Amino acid sequence: MKHPFPIAACVLTLAAPLAVLAAPRAATSPHVRAELVAETTALVPGQRNWIGLRLTHEPHWHTYWVNPGDSGLATKLAWHLPPGAEAGAVAWPAPQRFEVGGLFNFGYSGDVVLPIPLHLPADAKRGARINLSVDAKWLVCHQECVPGKATLKLSLPVGAQAAPNPRVRKLFATAHAAQPVASAWSGDARLVGDRVEVTLTGENLPDPDGVDAFVVQRQVVAYAPAQIRRLDDDRVMLTFAASEYLTAAPMALDLIVTDGIAPEVHARSVTVPFAAAAASHP
Amino acid sequence: MKLHRLFCAALLAALSSGPAVAAVAVGSAAPDFTLTDSNGKSETLAQYRGKTVVLEWSNPGCPFVQKHYRSGNIPRQQAAATRDGVVWLTINSGAAGKQGHLDGAGANAFVAQYKAAPSAYLIDGDGAVGKLYGARTTPHLYLIDGQGVLRYMGGIDSIASADEEDLAKATQYVPQALAELKSGKPVSVPTSQPYGCSVKYGS
Repeated sequence: MKHPFPIAACVLTLAAPLAVLAAPRAATSPHVRAELVAETTALVPGQRNWIGLRLTHEPHWHTYWVNPGDSGLATKLAWHLPPGAEAGAVAWPAPQRFEVGGLFNFGYSGDVVLPIPLHLPADAKRGARINLSVDAKWLVCHQECVPGKATLKLSLPVGAQAAPNPRVRKLFATAHAAQPVASAWSGDARLVGDRVEVTLTGENLPDPDGVDAFVVQRQVVAYAPAQIRRLDDDRVMLTFAASEYLTAAPMALDLIVTDGIAPEVHARSVTVPFAAAAASHP
Repeated sequence: MKLHRLFCAALLAALSSGPAVAAVAVGSAAPDFTLTDSNGKSETLAQYRGKTVVLEWSNPGCPFVQKHYRSGNIPRQQAAATRDGVVWLTINSGAAGKQGHLDGAGANAFVAQYKAAPSAYLIDGDGAVGKLYGARTTPHLYLIDGQGVLRYMGGIDSIASADEEDLAKATQYVPQALAELKSGKPVSVPTSQPYGCSVKYGS
């Protein structure tokens, strides 16, 4: 058995008040602190409760979105939950764009929460405690990168109603505000030579100035900023360089379009059919 | 409208001059290059015409590279390939002053430390060859056949992670492609998503 490399063997420090727990609620690894948090002080059965992976980055360091871009790795979670409890997928807030030496990455910096919806069955016993545990893995980078992992725990009571946890209220509010809102736009994506062109039609289209666009799927577009231009009153075209790694076009492209400047970013999502995919599938 | 057109022209200009990274394509000729190796010897791709060549982008400070060296994965692949007559060129495109940049002596020490077995360790300090090939990550692998045609480009294996424990389940794409080429079969996975650290190009 070889030694695991020392960087991965990051030292987990117990948050002092939680030292009685078998595993920490928070883990301090180089350049980012990870903590399992809840939006409310209790979990309410039969409704959606928001849990969060709080990532507190050192200045200039970042972790990654579901599509990390040219390099990097998306943060990954594996849950250990009591019977009946169900955690959904991460509700990824709209990412930031990072550029290093002509390469592009998508992710998060500063103090952020990645929200995760949690459901308890309607008959969960009031007053019982729910023990949540998650194996979290992340890659944190500035110019260099350090992988980290930790098992994070959180214990919460089941309640009839839930009050916001003031300690993380703002972080959840920011994360919810950065959730892409499903747009009413329609459109399509097609491969034209070495470009992927996405045409969006509808109302309240983004003004090309100050817009950024992120594709959820990997191996479709290159990650340099798209060229965005208005075709007419109700059509906008986004032109991406195609990825050199585009071999099988997806059936549809999931796109996040952001405008505004953080923290006032407005993010909208749209799913458009990929025209080339229809042609290349039997 | 005029403004829009101006804006677009500016954007197009920005796009065409902007991206630092060029592209090569599987099935097309791999562009030739000349680099100096860790012993001060000049190496070209063209001198290896007739042989299969592997290009491996590397950065000793990158945890993904460390995963594949500490575990012995890349050194094993290098030893097996070179035993078979394949030329394995490790390339470091890290700019001087950036993490992982090595001079010749540093590169030789790295090779010795991990009992690595590349045919040569090439220093690409200005990043020109990395950009020519569109190398984005460390590791990032390319496979060129004896006719000088690119036959594989992408990640080292099928599981994007920095964890050594994932190695056992991962498909190693270069040995797989080398075996297929050797037996005259098409390369079953000719591209894959590269993963790892960014290549530390100087800006």
